[in-house]
Amino acid sequence: MALDLQMPVLVVDDYKTMIRIIRNLLKQLGFEDVDDAADGTEALEKMKQRRYGLVISDWNMEPMTGYELLKQVRADAGLCKTPFIMVTAESKTENVIAAKKAGVNNYIVKPFNAQTLKGKIDAVFND
Amino acid sequence: MAAIQKENVARLIEFLEESRARKDDVTLNDVMGLAEVMARSMKDYVNAVQPAVTQELVEISDEICRMKQEITQLRATDIKENRIPEAGRELDAIVEATESATHTIMEAAETIMSADPQDADAYQAVVQHKIMEIFEACAFQDITGQRISKVVGTLNYIEERVNSFVRRLRVNEIDDVPAEETAEEKRRRELILHGPQHKGEGVSQEDVDAMLEVFAQDDIDKLFG
Repeated sequence: MALDLQMPVLVVDDYKTMIRIIRNLLKQLGFEDVDDAADGTEALEKMKQRRYGLVISDWNMEPMTGYELLKQVRADAGLCKTPFIMVTAESKTENVIAAKKAGVNNYIVKPFNAQTLKGKIDAVFND
Repeated sequence: MAAIQKENVARLIEFLEESRARKDDVTLNDVMGLAEVMARSMKDYVNAVQPAVTQELVEISDEICRMKQEITQLRATDIKENRIPEAGRELDAIVEATESATHTIMEAAETIMSADPQDADAYQAVVQHKIMEIFEACAFQDITGQRISKVVGTLNYIEERVNSFVRRLRVNEIDDVPAEETAEEKRRRELILHGPQHKGEGVSQEDVDAMLEVFAQDDIDKLFG
């Protein structure tokens, strides 16, 4: 799958400042069409209404976590191919394994920098 | 310890047998008669055990007084009504201050990002002005540091008193009752919510990258049996 800077990106985080940080970083990387959601439920609703080229999601949110969102996305025939990057402070081995098992495309540990985000996005689209 | 004497038991049995032979209803006199026989029968026994019982009651009373004193020293009301709410207010103020500072810093950065570099003088003025705003906003760290120290002080105060309470009442000699898992704990366990790890704990981005590279789906499946 080729990286297209015009594709819509969905950022999912319950912390507005983090959404703002990721939005600005994505803007610096050339992405213009960035949408956001405050938790998994809102993200899933948005994903059913619009086809996103990439989802960047936090793990720890309420009521639906990023982990639950990932599993629901992968279980949905219409959404299952959407590239999904987890960006989270959850940094235990079992989290990484669970995310990988659930079908995550890449995993970023907070705090992170622009270079890491760029590297992971490139890796997802170069696979 | 004195037992109930045989003649007293015999007297009680005789009274009950006489009462059983009668067909009419039980009267107040019957009840009082039974009470009198019972009291007479138990008199020797009560006389014998009274000092021991009295001693036990005195010890229980002393223990209750001591516990009351310990509970007073715990200053639970002060902790509940003053110290914990105050610590909560400090934490709220910390969240507010960090949010406000972050907002100021990000707004300054966004203004710099969107400033037009074509006009060099105007651009330099914007950058310098916004950089000053960023420096000013960073002053939150000093105040939040002081607030955090106050919260830590409260936690230490509570820890000290609870430890002292546990030690004096020898509560730590009693095994903890297994705590029932709350709905929130169950959610955190099932959804693997650990929260941020401390420095040196958890895995680094390099570890994550290595894990994602090395772990094929089959390897992961093996880990889950």
